[in-house]
Amino acid sequence: MPANRTSIRFKIRRQDAPGSPPYWQEFAIPYAPDHNVISALMVVQNNPVTTDGQRVAPVVWDRNCMEEVCGSCAMLINGVPRPSCSALIDSLTQPIVLEPLPKFPVVRDLLVDRSRIDEGLRKVRAWIEIDGAWDTHEGAPRISPSEWSANYLYSRCMSCGCCLSACPQFGPHSDFIGPAALAQVRLMNAHPTGRYDQADRLHAIMGDGGVSDCGNAQNCVRVCPKSIPLTTAIGELGRQTTVQAVKDLFGG
Amino acid sequence: MRHSTADPHFLLRRLHSLLGLLPVGAFLIFHLWENSQSRFGAAHYNGEVVAFLQGMNYLPILEIVIIALPLLFHAGYGLVITTQMRAELTRYRYVRNWLYWLQRASGIGILVFLLLHVGMTRIEGIWRVSVREDLFGHMQHLLSQPWMFGLYLTGLLLSVFHLANGLSTMGIVWGLTTSADAQRRFGFVCAGFGLLLAAIGLHGMIGFLP
Repeated sequence: MPANRTSIRFKIRRQDAPGSPPYWQEFAIPYAPDHNVISALMVVQNNPVTTDGQRVAPVVWDRNCMEEVCGSCAMLINGVPRPSCSALIDSLTQPIVLEPLPKFPVVRDLLVDRSRIDEGLRKVRAWIEIDGAWDTHEGAPRISPSEWSANYLYSRCMSCGCCLSACPQFGPHSDFIGPAALAQVRLMNAHPTGRYDQADRLHAIMGDGGVSDCGNAQNCVRVCPKSIPLTTAIGELGRQTTVQAVKDLFGG
Repeated sequence: MRHSTADPHFLLRRLHSLLGLLPVGAFLIFHLWENSQSRFGAAHYNGEVVAFLQGMNYLPILEIVIIALPLLFHAGYGLVITTQMRAELTRYRYVRNWLYWLQRASGIGILVFLLLHVGMTRIEGIWRVSVREDLFGHMQHLLSQPWMFGLYLTGLLLSVFHLANGLSTMGIVWGLTTSADAQRRFGFVCAGFGLLLAAIGLHGMIGFLP
């Protein structure tokens, strides 16, 4: 519980344009129960006046669903990458420090360009091919309940990018695709139809920036807001790529 | 889609991983075991242990092919991999994150230590007959200096850590351990293995002291 029950205070890292120098501004709004970071930012947006009494341009950030399924609102909140919709004000230490999600190029203020997540998903072919020269659906895909429940964990990924921003191997300096796309390879390879493209996906992650670039720091699994077992996916992909390499080298 | 055989990235990483255990890690285990026999005294160590190794046929070839070249590749490629590290140790205070950093930091530390260690034993022994003939006395002279003992102890602990932690992450890389439980269990097994190796190494170092 925060000690200060009369106001909600924010310290926000702002940036006017890509490449322009960042600066800090502080805001305070009257306390109200049950705020999350987004709803509180909306109050700031209504009256964008800093604690110094200066009227400034409203803070820009990304949001959509407000229920932790779209992944668009991830930012660094008190130093931790997490979705801002599920960051409840009453559980945060004040002043609440907001910074753009690290590792991604800043567009403006707290809005970052997250297109690299999509590029990763495209690179690993994180989809199921249902159009082919022949019918791939010969009856309903059969899958056991235990397999289904393991797969379900990975299907919860909302591409928020928290795992990527916490990864010490991922960033502008490297071409590592990061844990989110790798977990989708794990998911798609387990799909009864998706497994037909398993070798293609594995080859995609056996090149530069693939699964071998993982350093096993395992921050990803700690910060994932959906508790996706990312490091288990990486271990399973280690096994799949080992088998794939044996096939590539020795045939089969 | 390019095959893994057409793109050397994957195979180089796996070669780096494999060489760390075989033969480099295996040599470290052998080396610590061999030197733990220092406690049986100068006559036994020089006359039996060192004399046997020095008397091996094709010794220089074995040293180069089994120890030097794999070690140089592991170290060189390891340095390349280390450039990708952007560790934030205070932001993410998780054990694995620290181990990730320590694996790379220890690698650099080991490289510095090995240059000194190999230089003042194997290389110096090439032109100084006294080092070759009384390695026990030479090591006793070196380790009797507290700072040198500290240097060797640091080198030993860094090497043992690097092998034990490397083995634990190797389990994930090669796909031996997948579930979080399996990775934790294997992590403890590797920690136990590392402590055992450190004890053997320390035992050997103390054995040289007068």
